[in-house]
Amino acid sequence: MGRIKKKGTAGQAKNFITRTQAVRKLQISLPDFRKLCIWKGIYPREPRSKKKASKSSSASTTFYYTKDIQYLLHEPLLQKFREQKALEKKISKALGRGDAHDASRLERNASRPEKTGRTKYTLDHVIRERYPTFIDALRDLDDCLSMLFLFANLPSTDTVPAKMIARCERLCLEFEHYLIVSNSLRKSFLSIKGIYYQATIQGQDILWLVPYRFNQRVTGDVDFRIMGTFVEFYQTLLGFVNFRLYTSVGLVYPPKFDKNRDDQGAELGAFSLEGNGVGAIEQPKQITNGQNSKPDPKLQAEIDKLMSQLNQPEKETEQEPQTSQTLAEGDDEEQPTDTIDKFEPAAPGGDILLQPSYSATDPSTLFSNFTFFLSRETPRQPLEFILKAFGCKRIGWDAVLGDGAYTHNELDPSITHQVVDRPPIQVDSEAAEQIEDNQTAQKLIPGSRVPGRIYIQPQWIWDSVNDEELKRPDLYGPGAQLPPHLSPFVKKVRGQYDPSAPLNEQEREDEELEADSDMEEDIPGEDDMAVQQPKLLTAIEVDATAEGMDIAGSEDDESEDADVVDNEDDDFGGFSDAEDEDEDDTADSALQRQRELEAELTGVALEEKVANPKADAKKKAAKRAKEEDEELERAKMMMSRKKRKILEKMVYSNKKKDGEAETLRAKRRKIEKSGKGAPRA
Amino acid sequence: MAPTAIDRKRKSVQAEESDVESEAEFGDGLLEGILSQSESEDSDEESNAEEDSDEEELEVDALEALDSDEIPSEDGGSETEDPIGSLVKSNGTKTSVVALREKPLPAEDEDKPNYTITTDANGGERYVYEEIDPVYDSDDSDAPITTNTIGDIPLSFYDSYPHIGYDINGKKIMRPAKGEALDALLDSIDIPKGWTGLTDPATGKPLNLSQDELEILRRIQTNEMPEEGYDPYPATVEYFTGIEELMPLSAAPEPKRRFLPSKHEAKRVMKIVRAIREGRIMPYQPPEERQEEEEETHYDIWQDEVPRPDHIMNIPAPKIAPPGYDLSYNPPPEYLPTKAEKQAWETADPEDREKEYLPTSYGSLRKVPGYEKFINERFQRSLDLYLAPRVRKNRLNIDPASLLPKLPRPEELKPFPTVCSTLFRGHEGRVRSLAIDPSGIWLASGGDDGTVRVWELLTGRQIWSAKIGDDEGVNVVRWRPGRDAVILSAAAGEDVYLLVPPIVDPETDAASRELLDKGFGHATNATQALTANGARKEPVAKWTRPGSRLEDEGVLIKITLRTTVKVISWHRRGDFFSTVSPTAQKSAVAIHTLSKHLTQIPFRRLPGIAQTVQFHPSRPLFFVATQRTIRSYDLQKQELVKIIQPGARWISSFDIHPGGDNLIVGSYDRRLLWHDLDLSTRPYKTMRFHQKAIRAVKYHKGGFPLFADASDDGSLQIFHGKVVSDMMENAQIVPVKVLKGHKVKSNLGVLDIDWHPREPWCIILDHLIAVGRVSEDAPLTIAPFASNNSYLHSEASYPIKVDGCWNVSDLTFNASKPMGDAAFSG
Repeated sequence: MGRIKKKGTAGQAKNFITRTQAVRKLQISLPDFRKLCIWKGIYPREPRSKKKASKSSSASTTFYYTKDIQYLLHEPLLQKFREQKALEKKISKALGRGDAHDASRLERNASRPEKTGRTKYTLDHVIRERYPTFIDALRDLDDCLSMLFLFANLPSTDTVPAKMIARCERLCLEFEHYLIVSNSLRKSFLSIKGIYYQATIQGQDILWLVPYRFNQRVTGDVDFRIMGTFVEFYQTLLGFVNFRLYTSVGLVYPPKFDKNRDDQGAELGAFSLEGNGVGAIEQPKQITNGQNSKPDPKLQAEIDKLMSQLNQPEKETEQEPQTSQTLAEGDDEEQPTDTIDKFEPAAPGGDILLQPSYSATDPSTLFSNFTFFLSRETPRQPLEFILKAFGCKRIGWDAVLGDGAYTHNELDPSITHQVVDRPPIQVDSEAAEQIEDNQTAQKLIPGSRVPGRIYIQPQWIWDSVNDEELKRPDLYGPGAQLPPHLSPFVKKVRGQYDPSAPLNEQEREDEELEADSDMEEDIPGEDDMAVQQPKLLTAIEVDATAEGMDIAGSEDDESEDADVVDNEDDDFGGFSDAEDEDEDDTADSALQRQRELEAELTGVALEEKVANPKADAKKKAAKRAKEEDEELERAKMMMSRKKRKILEKMVYSNKKKDGEAETLRAKRRKIEKSGKGAPRA
Repeated sequence: MAPTAIDRKRKSVQAEESDVESEAEFGDGLLEGILSQSESEDSDEESNAEEDSDEEELEVDALEALDSDEIPSEDGGSETEDPIGSLVKSNGTKTSVVALREKPLPAEDEDKPNYTITTDANGGERYVYEEIDPVYDSDDSDAPITTNTIGDIPLSFYDSYPHIGYDINGKKIMRPAKGEALDALLDSIDIPKGWTGLTDPATGKPLNLSQDELEILRRIQTNEMPEEGYDPYPATVEYFTGIEELMPLSAAPEPKRRFLPSKHEAKRVMKIVRAIREGRIMPYQPPEERQEEEEETHYDIWQDEVPRPDHIMNIPAPKIAPPGYDLSYNPPPEYLPTKAEKQAWETADPEDREKEYLPTSYGSLRKVPGYEKFINERFQRSLDLYLAPRVRKNRLNIDPASLLPKLPRPEELKPFPTVCSTLFRGHEGRVRSLAIDPSGIWLASGGDDGTVRVWELLTGRQIWSAKIGDDEGVNVVRWRPGRDAVILSAAAGEDVYLLVPPIVDPETDAASRELLDKGFGHATNATQALTANGARKEPVAKWTRPGSRLEDEGVLIKITLRTTVKVISWHRRGDFFSTVSPTAQKSAVAIHTLSKHLTQIPFRRLPGIAQTVQFHPSRPLFFVATQRTIRSYDLQKQELVKIIQPGARWISSFDIHPGGDNLIVGSYDRRLLWHDLDLSTRPYKTMRFHQKAIRAVKYHKGGFPLFADASDDGSLQIFHGKVVSDMMENAQIVPVKVLKGHKVKSNLGVLDIDWHPREPWCIILDHLIAVGRVSEDAPLTIAPFASNNSYLHSEASYPIKVDGCWNVSDLTFNASKPMGDAAFSG
């Protein structure tokens, strides 16, 4: 026999370390430890047996892997933290001595991210360690994007410095630019929480959530220091990811950022992308419309004429990347002048839209032929992003929405679609006439419409994007009751409720009948176990018409001892569960058989007995359920206890899910019957 | 101004050399004239005149500053705007130069006396001396210079005179021109320079300040020195260091090192030089520029990426679930909560809510508000990312049906009892035990009413009844195996009775009686065992006739034991039977020999309380169940063969498979255990399907692979237990039927169970006696029965009456005390 091993030297006791122990081992403060954990991606574990893992008698809550903590011991950041701590001590000492000059000299070396928005150290090596490949980084981008987009929309406070917010915003916009250029946005969803986007980059699905542009409500229980630590890491990560993405499509990173335009609210438009010349595909830049200089109208007309001729072939090959020269010329071409009207078609998008069978597998072409105008009540930023990401190159908006629009002129004749989100106002005839007169006016009378363009609500864009086809715009007209907006992220599972499919396709058989017979429709009486369970007993459908029954089941023929029978039934009601129904069935079928025989003898055709289908269905279902229950119980008896527990859990969760689906179906049935549901697209 | 004044004098003395200039300067000359006109004659001595004019200057200046010089810049102004004026001035200086050149002329004649002779007022000679020039070392240098010699008297004394006093020469000092009215007028016309709006308290006139005075005031206000150019801290003029010591203080010679360049310094300098060259020392830059410079650098961090497999223990954070339909801002209407659901959500504690949001339909995008808990949710997510312990959980994504064992269909395992076919009524009080006779026609039962009854099995008709226990209930009834004789054994209290019920043909009856009576001879001949002291040992049991009344009824033998008998178990040949009386200490288990009327106590001592015994169906083995274990003994070799440990706490009953190799055990702790005797002493299968204690277990002995257990929870489970002859294959156990619904009275449910010797019927002991029968009433279940010829055959031999149940009397239940008391209390 070997030596007796000491307790706590092997196994779980050695593999796990509590948080306090870890902090003590690393000789850092708890906030620093937290930072390290966040950056290095180290998280607590749940030991199999807490009792074995903890060496103390008191119950520890958090355990880390000892190996993880050992790995932290060699972290260069740890040294940085220590230096920083020493420096802070020096500063406070200098201040205590009243040596302001010394303190300010030392202060210059100190890391003050809340002021500068930047720390003294970089997290580059951490990113390299955590994400050995680019794909790994992409896989982990969900939380990163959600967090940075949130911070880009936050107001600056003393815990959230303005520089940090500005940097978040820049990184996010740069990322959006990449998505626009590479057309990798796939889906988007307007939820009550915010807008979900899903992009597919190098085969990785990235899903993130962007809040609506409102002031975020900050409650006291949110610790911005923790969030700030995450943001610091995510900023570094997204910076590198952006660099890689930009380089991969042949763009220079960082893109040029125009501070002035950004100040004027041209968010995406404040960046100008440029190719890096290494196998660069010159990406189409957004077309903007400078209105500041008005050239000579005659000369302009000449140019326009020429350009419109030149532009005809170009429009057909719009998918191909344009060179910057044509873009520049295009700028001129799009100048809205009075003379241009007769050359431009009144509604260029009209015939295109009339083809409902538009099948676009390439997301870059979905909106590429249209010119959008966003009314001032619509959210400009998400609309601009999603439209551009799906190939739209000309988006105009109201001047109040900021700079960077293709046009601010609502009456621009090249506009094919206008996104509105306001209730329709009844316009009287005078106003309408006035509009006719004021055709050239910059402002429209509220409620009036420009002929030759399509008015839609914003949801049209999202639904079109998610279904990869242009939806019928008449369903999405201003003031119309919109069809439900469905999440594109839900995977259709058989047996689960699918709101887009018709109701009768997904109902169980007899479900409607049951629902009808149930007076209270809200609670479905049937449990769904019947569906789930294996049908072992289906062969029980025995021919019940056979004659010659004896002994059991024929007691009720005896009228003399009816009371005794009652008594018996009381005592032995459970001896056989299906007995009574069997009797009924057999009696019924025997009667039927008898009648048939008689009819055969007499040669008279027996009129079909009109069976009550509802009652039949109910009875049958009850019988089947009973049989299956019995069968299930029998099978359960032979299972081990562990397996039985698992089975019971699964059955429970399945039952719950089915119950939810059933409730939804019942609600929908009710709504459809009352006929007040919205149209389904 | 002094030189100009001198100029005037010079001009007046000399013949006007340049009249043009004097014309231009007339205004000034006029002013000066006021003071100098009286002494114009004695201004020939230059130095004197100069000094005089200097002294006068001070006064004139002061006066001018007070009143006459209201526009001091006018002079300068005229100078600047008029270049000719400045030219005039330069001319003036030229003339003074000329005058200076002339100066030596009077000094040349030395003999000339230092006085001049003038005539005084009386016409006499008066010597007028030159004014003494008080040079630096003249003795009156300290005398105060007073211009007005009137002394310390108020000026008002001279108010009525045109002069204000006398100078040292006794000349009148004329009152300066004032022109107050004119000044006031001018003041009212435009605000003069230096006007302050204040009144001088000393003079009562408006207080005007000059540019210089204002400058002084400003300097005082700003805490500067009032005088410009005053240096309060002049460089100290070193006194001692300025003086060079002639003699050295130390006589030591100068060391050589003072004349050689320092090597150490050279080293240090070179170090710095090298550092600069190598770029280790950067020239100083202001920190602001440095911050500008440290813009983030971008590079491809994944340039040389090498895929690294994840660490085996790494658990990546789960992604946030994608949004479902109900999260939409405009969801399908069926996802919207009803009023009740909404209220339930609102009243629930936030932690208990299934979803943290309530599906809402906003209709259009402009109505969608900001999500309140956005930051909170993100914060929670961050907390989860770094704070939540991660566990890998394997989720079984399978159909739960696949977990269920594949059992053969019960239809395939038929026949087994499913339906209650007959009830036997007649016992008063609880029925304790039942048994079916080996031929399968009769059913015997015994109960708390002290009677043993025999029923016709198929009809439920009571054939015969005998009251054997006068005050005690019948605990157990058992038929003797073998069809040559019909003998029923029953135990009531301490007595075991052997009965021959008069239900069979006379031959069998006679044979049975003979079998019972045969042993009387043996018993009388037998030698009685002696105790140690020679006294006759008290026999373990007494075999006697029960009395004439009972003998007439068919009760032939009464065996009286020491304690209450609970179990009777017959050997397969019918010559031996064993009884168990658990309360007895040593004689708990007794083996009786029918042919010899002999009773033996095989075990002196048993580990624990004996529960029940069984004879092996084919081999000479005897099984004794105590509380925890079952021991099997070889009767021939008289040794212990095996100890079976079912692991149950308290064994209630057990039964041996007719094959002899398998055993089922029922226990009070709700377990049913199947033992394979060849395999192990531990159970092969443990089944715990009952809510309450199991009372009885029984194999079917007539060829059907069935066994059943009866429990206090009022239910009864029938199993299909097929024992395969192949040693390698395990027994197959399939539950086939649960018979429920028996009444539970005072915590006692089904007490006993027996199988029909040939048919798949079981007799269940409830409060009444019920016969469980094959379900679906034979003709309906054709398929399973078709394969079972024996059943069809037996069916034919026992025609069944259609009228099923036949009852004897109305029931009256006595709330009898439970039988299991003894067993439970131990």
